[in-house]
Amino acid sequence: MNKTLVSFLVFVVGLAVFHNAIFPIFTPKEVGWILNRYVYFLSFIAYLIITHLILRLKPPIAMMGLFVWSIGFYFYKFVLYPPIPWTLFITYMVMWSIGTFLYISQDPETFREFRKPIVKAIVGEYKMAQIVLMIALPILVGWATYQSIYPSFQEPVELRTVHPAPPATTKVHGKTYPLESTNNPFRVDEQDNYKDSFPFLDADKHEYMKYVTEGGTIFFQNCHYCHGDQLNGLGMFSHVFNPTPANFIDPGTIAMLQEAFLFWRVSKGGPGLPNESTPWSSAMPPWEEHLKTEEIWKVILFEYWYTGWHPRTFGTEGSTAGGGE
Amino acid sequence: MVGNNLNLTVTKPKHMEMTMTKNNNYIKRLILSFLALALIAVPGAALAGMPDPIKKDMLEKGKKVYFKRCVWCHGVEGGGDGPSADRLFTRPRNFIQGTFKIRWTDSGELPLDINLINTVKNGLTGSAMPAWGEFLAEDEILSVVQFVKSLVQDREWDDEDEEVNNVIGGSATSASSRPAIGADIGKGPLGDPPWAKTAGPYHLGIPQEHVDAGKELFMKNKCWECHGGEGRGDGNPTMKDDWGFPIVAANWQQCWNHRGSRREPYDPFVVARTISTGLNGTPMPNFREQLTGTERWQVAAFVNSLCPRKNIDKLTNKPVPDFLIQSVYTEGIVVPKIDDPSWASPDTDYRIVDLSEEQAENPKKHYIAMAGQITRGKRNFDPKADNLYVSSRWSAEEQAVYYLVEYDTRFMSQDPEFPDAVAIQWPAKLQDLFGAEKPYFIYGDSKKPVDVWKASFMAKDYSATNAPNEKGYQLDVNVKEYVANGFDAVADKESEGKVEIVDSIFHQGRVKVMFKRALTTEGEFDVQIPSEQFIPVSFFQWSGRDKEHDEHMAISTWYYTILKPALPASLYYMPPIIAAIFVCFQGWLVWMTKRTRKMYDEGKMRRDELPK
Repeated sequence: MNKTLVSFLVFVVGLAVFHNAIFPIFTPKEVGWILNRYVYFLSFIAYLIITHLILRLKPPIAMMGLFVWSIGFYFYKFVLYPPIPWTLFITYMVMWSIGTFLYISQDPETFREFRKPIVKAIVGEYKMAQIVLMIALPILVGWATYQSIYPSFQEPVELRTVHPAPPATTKVHGKTYPLESTNNPFRVDEQDNYKDSFPFLDADKHEYMKYVTEGGTIFFQNCHYCHGDQLNGLGMFSHVFNPTPANFIDPGTIAMLQEAFLFWRVSKGGPGLPNESTPWSSAMPPWEEHLKTEEIWKVILFEYWYTGWHPRTFGTEGSTAGGGE
Repeated sequence: MVGNNLNLTVTKPKHMEMTMTKNNNYIKRLILSFLALALIAVPGAALAGMPDPIKKDMLEKGKKVYFKRCVWCHGVEGGGDGPSADRLFTRPRNFIQGTFKIRWTDSGELPLDINLINTVKNGLTGSAMPAWGEFLAEDEILSVVQFVKSLVQDREWDDEDEEVNNVIGGSATSASSRPAIGADIGKGPLGDPPWAKTAGPYHLGIPQEHVDAGKELFMKNKCWECHGGEGRGDGNPTMKDDWGFPIVAANWQQCWNHRGSRREPYDPFVVARTISTGLNGTPMPNFREQLTGTERWQVAAFVNSLCPRKNIDKLTNKPVPDFLIQSVYTEGIVVPKIDDPSWASPDTDYRIVDLSEEQAENPKKHYIAMAGQITRGKRNFDPKADNLYVSSRWSAEEQAVYYLVEYDTRFMSQDPEFPDAVAIQWPAKLQDLFGAEKPYFIYGDSKKPVDVWKASFMAKDYSATNAPNEKGYQLDVNVKEYVANGFDAVADKESEGKVEIVDSIFHQGRVKVMFKRALTTEGEFDVQIPSEQFIPVSFFQWSGRDKEHDEHMAISTWYYTILKPALPASLYYMPPIIAAIFVCFQGWLVWMTKRTRKMYDEGKMRRDELPK
């Protein structure tokens, strides 16, 4: 049997078997020292080298080049994790292609060998290959031109500031609050003491749980439509809005903010955002129109208690200590 | 009481007992016992048994989960009366009577534990009940289900008279929600579908014969009395649930809102199960007396075929909105008729199911998600329209643009004081906006006015209790234009209105309204619509039957629309030119290569020599 063909089959069949049967084994949920995707990739390379050595296969240099290039493509496309954006992928593949070319042209002999089939196709010694190339390539070029001219429209990308700089003071219900030094008046105790207390059940026993119960009641009458029953920003209306409502479970939202910042955002909503936060698409209502000052503070107290985060504080130790559940 | 025997085979002694008391003859008794046993062994028979008793050791933990996560909607005693209840439609479940909708058991019976566990894990899509499967730990879910069972006051889970018949046939302990056994017997378990396999998450490829058979059964069994002629839930406006709260039939064309879909909206099993079990507490009965298992699957196939295939967001379980509304360039003039073939387009996403050749160039129906307006004034916590479909054409010859706005609404208003309405909102001073700047998304703001085109309409000769009307109802439309600088500053335009409603209809639970306006107008606060430019646009909708008016409405966020240009002529001549240039290049390459070879052969030049 033609050794070139054997080598080709070793590569193609081997890759199919490895990718479909062995890859899943090496990518369990819990990644280990042996069972990971890179060990899998190395074992595929080892398989290729060992099979070629045992069977004494010496494919022509053009095919070797193709193998090397394909292995790189496979690695960047399927093995490397997390997946890379396509621009980076293109960059890596350009470098990999240059590397492959260097490998092919390492000495004049291999380079000539590599050129041989190409030249033969061009001058027509491989008649079929010549005909196919001469017809297929111009059609491909025409098609690519058509694709690039065809008008297509994507919605414009909009950038916005997620956490805009707050003003120094905010005026709610006729009273001015300096954001730097305002604290939640209902934070009457350390919230961790109430991890295993329950709204409604313990509302009569502890003042703190009374406030949490009241805050939760307001939350589930007003806020859950967008911010969700789980406070994860996936409420019934959440899919309607762009930007999507904030996810309080995420460590990047209330966990890294002061309570006074929340007080300002809840009171003033989307319309109260500074100019840098345009486009004005935030659907957050200015809640000062519907809620009393103390109700806003209670909702904020509830949000921290429910998620297990601690508000950010300045000047005291353990500023951002805490964690989600 | 049979104690803690969870095994479904508890029916065995029961059946035997019966036969024994009735027959004293030993041999007869033996034969009958065997018959009874055989009956149980036949996979077709319903699996009768006791409800799963409450696992008391889990209650402590379950109570903690309940009072942290569930109490807000379901209430302290499980009466479905938590703080949020009055602002939700449909209301949260009242556990006290033991009435659960999504089950595998017969109508009126208590559910199996696995049914409740799956409800908690997957949530109830289309309602406020979220999926807790990724949020709570497995043991928290199992415990809270036991605690919820303990909130049932009117029934006892270990009562000897409580029978549960698993009419679906799934395993009571298996986490899989799909039935494994069953045969095609009217009263028995549902069994397997009559088709071999469906393709992919969209369950396409069910043979048309089953869909057609299902449609016939839909007509014969009068499903349309409640669900409407095309399944949009527009049949019966007077339905109430067991507690006297108003309730509506499911809209089959929004299957992502089917409560028991377990996040598999296109799985026909969802519908086949509901037809087999009914929905306790609602007017939905089961149809096992009327339909065999196969027939129930066929009805499910028909119901399923009505639901447009959309790209469903895994997190929100709603279709992903199409944020760019593309207005199709039309050669000559646009036909201003909704049922003209040039406007025909499926609700299904063209990226999921290929378009027919005639519709390939037609405008697509863009999915616009709607929510209640809960920012100002009278707030709307239960909007009636879940989404709009918007498609558009424009014509350079007419210098006009057309927007066809459609949405599902079960019943229209019959009160002229509260007509139904839909509006398109534009930035009034588009030319003054810089970059991505936009007016405030509801009625603009003091600096940036908006231009609102509002069409209000009443259906002619319409009554909500009418039988399905295949011709639909013509609409009495009144169109008005407003300029708004905020909620408190919505005013009639002083300039002459230029917006026209060129066609409209209310057909089988769907409103269709076609707007037309010239691209450029004289009015100071009229949006001037350029082509090939992204223009912010958003939508409002009012349900007259719900007495919605003014700011009590459904809203969308800002979308973009663009008037796509005609296909450039270069599209037709450039590709051949480039290809021809490439052919010349190839010819040159061949000529060069051959010439070099010839020079080698003639010895005019030496090949690159290898080092010795």
